[in-house]
Amino acid sequence: MSYEQATIQSNSQGFRLGVAEKLTLGYIYPHAPVEIIMAHGFVPSLVRARPGVVGAFEASLQTFACSYTRNLFSQRANDQLPPLAALLFPGNTCDSLLNVGDIWRVRFPDDTVFRLTYPAANQGEAGVHFLAEEIRSLSNMLEKAFGLPFSLSEFEEAASLTRQFRESIQFLYASRAILPQVLPYSKLAALIHTFLMSPDQKSVTEVVRAASQAQRSLAKSKSLEPINRIRQQLLKGHLTRLTFAHDTDSPRIAVAGGMIDPGALVALLSAAGISENALVIDLLTFGFKTAFTRPCDMEGDPFESVARSILSSPLEPTQEGLEMRLSFVRDILTNLAIDGLVICEQSFCDPDEFEAPSLEAAASKSGVVVLRLPIDPELSDRERLGVRLQSFLETIKSRNQR
Amino acid sequence: MAEQEKRTEEKVYRQLRTNSLLQQIMFRYMLEGHAASENGRLAWITSGFPVEIPVAMGVGVNYPEQYGAVIGSQKVGPQICGFAEEMGYSQELCSYARSSIGAARYPEKSPLEGLPKPQALLACNNICGTVLRWYDAISEMTGAPVFLFDTPPTQGKQTPHHREYVRQSVMRLIDFLSTTFHTTFSEERLREVGNLSGKGIDLWTRCLKACRNRPSPLNCADRFLAMAPIVSLRGTELAVEFYQALLEEVEGRVAQGLGAIRDEKIRLLWDDIPPWFTIFRFFNGLAARGVVFPADTYTHAWSGSLSGADLVDSVVSVYSNVYLNKGLEAKVDKMCELIKEYSLDGFIMFSVRSCKRYSLGQLVSKELVMERTGVPGVVIEGDMVDSRLFNDAQIQTRIDALLEMFI
Ligand code: SF4
Ligand code: SF4
Repeated sequence: MSYEQATIQSNSQGFRLGVAEKLTLGYIYPHAPVEIIMAHGFVPSLVRARPGVVGAFEASLQTFACSYTRNLFSQRANDQLPPLAALLFPGNTCDSLLNVGDIWRVRFPDDTVFRLTYPAANQGEAGVHFLAEEIRSLSNMLEKAFGLPFSLSEFEEAASLTRQFRESIQFLYASRAILPQVLPYSKLAALIHTFLMSPDQKSVTEVVRAASQAQRSLAKSKSLEPINRIRQQLLKGHLTRLTFAHDTDSPRIAVAGGMIDPGALVALLSAAGISENALVIDLLTFGFKTAFTRPCDMEGDPFESVARSILSSPLEPTQEGLEMRLSFVRDILTNLAIDGLVICEQSFCDPDEFEAPSLEAAASKSGVVVLRLPIDPELSDRERLGVRLQSFLETIKSRNQR
Repeated sequence: MAEQEKRTEEKVYRQLRTNSLLQQIMFRYMLEGHAASENGRLAWITSGFPVEIPVAMGVGVNYPEQYGAVIGSQKVGPQICGFAEEMGYSQELCSYARSSIGAARYPEKSPLEGLPKPQALLACNNICGTVLRWYDAISEMTGAPVFLFDTPPTQGKQTPHHREYVRQSVMRLIDFLSTTFHTTFSEERLREVGNLSGKGIDLWTRCLKACRNRPSPLNCADRFLAMAPIVSLRGTELAVEFYQALLEEVEGRVAQGLGAIRDEKIRLLWDDIPPWFTIFRFFNGLAARGVVFPADTYTHAWSGSLSGADLVDSVVSVYSNVYLNKGLEAKVDKMCELIKEYSLDGFIMFSVRSCKRYSLGQLVSKELVMERTGVPGVVIEGDMVDSRLFNDAQIQTRIDALLEMFI
């Protein structure tokens, strides 16, 4: 069941059960321990902000809550959330989500709400241990609340699914970084979306199939070797100088930001009449940052191994280390021959709004032109944003012709 | 009676004699900050940071949040925040952060010519997640490295793995300071500083508790000013000296039945940071109507002191359990407790647009506190530094509506 198709079944008496047979556990922050959730027999499903939601937050949230949390809250208040057995909030990722989690519990006391707290510091093994214990305690709470124990075999199955998904999606990302025409960005975004909504064999098969197709179409070109190299380097968080053939006539843009829906970008590009091939790579939470998480190790303690995997995600979820993040972004911009960087900012989002000036400066120093785009889930300013994107692309084109 | 005292007598509020001592102490703090910076030993530090550790290791500290309050009080918030906005920082961000970034950009155009240049930036996220990002921005401008003392938010009782993680943060901090400032850590010295910090906090807490008396010896603005040393000089003799003097004055007022305001009629709780740019006008305006604020949630935030055989464990405990780090429930409990203990008739919640951690959720907490205590409350919206976000007329209308309930 896709996000948009989900039947509206939640109501003010609390969440209802999810799709037949399995309970759905909704999560908001994509760095969720999906393998552990699945090992308890749940379907982990990303709950995302979406357009067309009528604001219904005013009695509970002030207007300076970020546009993302306002949208989620309104979905719940309007009974527009997909059916969920429980909802998982993150802790220590941003102030808005932390507080909204607390408010949610008060306003919707019948909802089953959990919190998973992440380390914000780059504290090595101490961070891994902390997150592992947080995940273990989530696992205990799931068992206690629903009587569904952790199953090692289901964990292994889930870990194998996420591994297949990530390997294929990483390949697709790396391919698009060189030859964006290999797969429309909207297709890439949809594949991630489907998996995050419902990580099952079907959604994984789709991604694997798309990756195999891309591989076949690239087989004759000399691109496979650099693609694999880029993939490995993106995983390591450090790119070196690469030479690869690409179409110098068409602009190459990267998109940075946090919890921006890749689908919203697709809508903006299409409204502005811009080819999706211009968008070479996104660095978004629901895209790149989730895709490039390393698969979890099957050996050893499952909780620790999932924690280690989550903490390997590039640019997130720990907050410390701006310089490291900037240096990775600089690497990407220079080594992937990026002409322009679009920095998306969710309104009232501290992480986006604090980081944007630093990203802008880093990109400008690398000779990359920058467009800062305030964006909210409702795309309330769609036309104006489209016009700004168009003129941004024009600027790049005329620069490239010089 | 001297002319000046006569004039004070006529006012609706009573000035504290210790204010002059406060000014001297804060002036000294400023000079010490400059000296530390010149000697390459200054760290900027957040208000909830375990300051006892850098102090025990001989590192000077300055508090940008407090400097934000200075910018606010001098009514230059919009201008200094504007410098940060010119650099691309959104007007939606914390105005302490914006003003600090703006002042770091143009110290010569800022009050006191800005804070002295730091050699390190020490952020603890027990008050909010913003501090790390703010210090990251300052780090880019000054080259000073950032250290994050991570105290993940707690729910209920602190778990063993939380304790262990924060313990590792303490160890990492000691390493960071040793390397950055070429200094060493001694438990003995930490105990000395911890004792001084505990003494200061104890005296301060006694001043706060004296406000349970009717009339209250201190009003909101008094406490907001008098809290400066507990924020910036915790762990020093200077802070102890100041709070001894303050306590003496406060107890004197209580003994004589003298209130902070002339004619106390309504006792309210204040929630959140104050609007620094109008602090006297705002609270004295209410004082003229007989409204006093014997308690507030902000100045009650400094409570725990370091003690026990395992000092590191004590640091872990005190700094993880700051109530802002414990969420909405803890804040509501705190408000209800203050309303009861200080015999308050109602409360005002200042919804600070800048500060999500402190303010987001007030609409819900207002209802919970009203339900539990039976006293009325109101939420007013504005900002602590950026007066552009403060609509005086709208705020007065809300407050009038609240006060009418007491007539
Ligand atoms: S959009 Fe920003 S502020 Fe909002 S939940 Fe996401 S990270 Fe937090
Ligand atoms: S966001 Fe709030 S708690 Fe954090 S520094 Fe700003 S005012 Fe202080």
